[in-house]
Amino acid sequence: MPRLERIEYKPISVRELFLEMKNLSELMIDLAYSAALFNDKELAEDVLELENRVDILTYLLDMEIMIAARDAEDAEKLAGVSKVASAADKISDAAADIAAIVTQNIGIHPIVSEVFEKVEERLTRAKVNEDSILIGKQIDELDLAARMGVDIIAIRRNKDWLINPEDTERVKGGDILIARGAPFGIKEFKELVEGKLQRLED
Amino acid sequence: MSRKHRKHFEEIVERFVELKDTSELMMDLAYSSLLLNSKELAEDVQELEEHMDKLHTNFELLVLSSGFKPEEAKSFLGLIRLGVVTEKIADAAAEIAEVVLRGIKPHPVLKLAIEEAEETVTYVQVTENSQLVNNTLREAHIPEETGMWVLAIRRKGKYVRPKPHTKIETGDVLIASGYAEGEEDLKKLASP
Repeated sequence: MPRLERIEYKPISVRELFLEMKNLSELMIDLAYSAALFNDKELAEDVLELENRVDILTYLLDMEIMIAARDAEDAEKLAGVSKVASAADKISDAAADIAAIVTQNIGIHPIVSEVFEKVEERLTRAKVNEDSILIGKQIDELDLAARMGVDIIAIRRNKDWLINPEDTERVKGGDILIARGAPFGIKEFKELVEGKLQRLED
Repeated sequence: MSRKHRKHFEEIVERFVELKDTSELMMDLAYSSLLLNSKELAEDVQELEEHMDKLHTNFELLVLSSGFKPEEAKSFLGLIRLGVVTEKIADAAAEIAEVVLRGIKPHPVLKLAIEEAEETVTYVQVTENSQLVNNTLREAHIPEETGMWVLAIRRKGKYVRPKPHTKIETGDVLIASGYAEGEEDLKKLASP
């Protein structure tokens, strides 16, 4: 059981909260499918961690709503906002359910994974080794999409998650990069991140 | 493994990808309908919800007709669970769309959030003479040319979730969002 912390109010705009929930839900679902179909425990654990973050956002959103409501009319208008927060929470719960297929060792039939890999791109996660040549480079400089058909969709840096990172974000040692792409590109990408490949081919 | 067996699995994956894409498309459209305050998009989500129920039932029936051995049951349970999740996501998306469709005037808090966006949704049909026809979305460079982002494609009464390799066809309706000034550019590009 994870330790449940107290959630303190902090003022954030509702739009920002919505956008973050939307981005998080999308990322979680992508990660979760990949985790289940390719039986990847680490990805599954990332999903569970992100779910905790959505829970916190839901609390924050509820707090914003409570502070904003002063009378019956306000309550009427804000009920919709609260409904959306609960729907976002449901989506993240759904992603956690997919991750549970892995963490509870239920698994997916291997032939399904095999066929799936042919039709859909897969996700991978890799930790940036201290001698990786990617360190210090900006994402746009790497031009991974053109080079190997790979996109970095999130960076996990210590406890923080950068979702859809900016082009100008620089890769740091110890970052965990989450990327999407075709199997061949993914393999090369992983080797670069882990420092096994020391040259960026054109 | 027999060819027939293999084909069965291919069909399971095909149906699953359709379920997964539909549920994710619904989620994208639902959030967009909210952020852009678009009833039209919200209605699209509701329409997809009905379609989704049918897809899910068919998927479950297909998985259950796999004729698996007892020791394989677990890995088929995993598939059933995946299907259930897509259904949950679709339901949540429909709930978000419902909020938009109930049309209670948004509270200042939400209104502010929406207005900050200054974005609109537009529906444009691709005509035969458009340069977009037969190009994939990656090749079409719609965001670069118009500033509009394609959320979904309506094709022959069905919705297609746009992926980089999705090919644009004559008659497609592109559902796109972006700043209002991009709307004209997109129209020119799609139906010149």
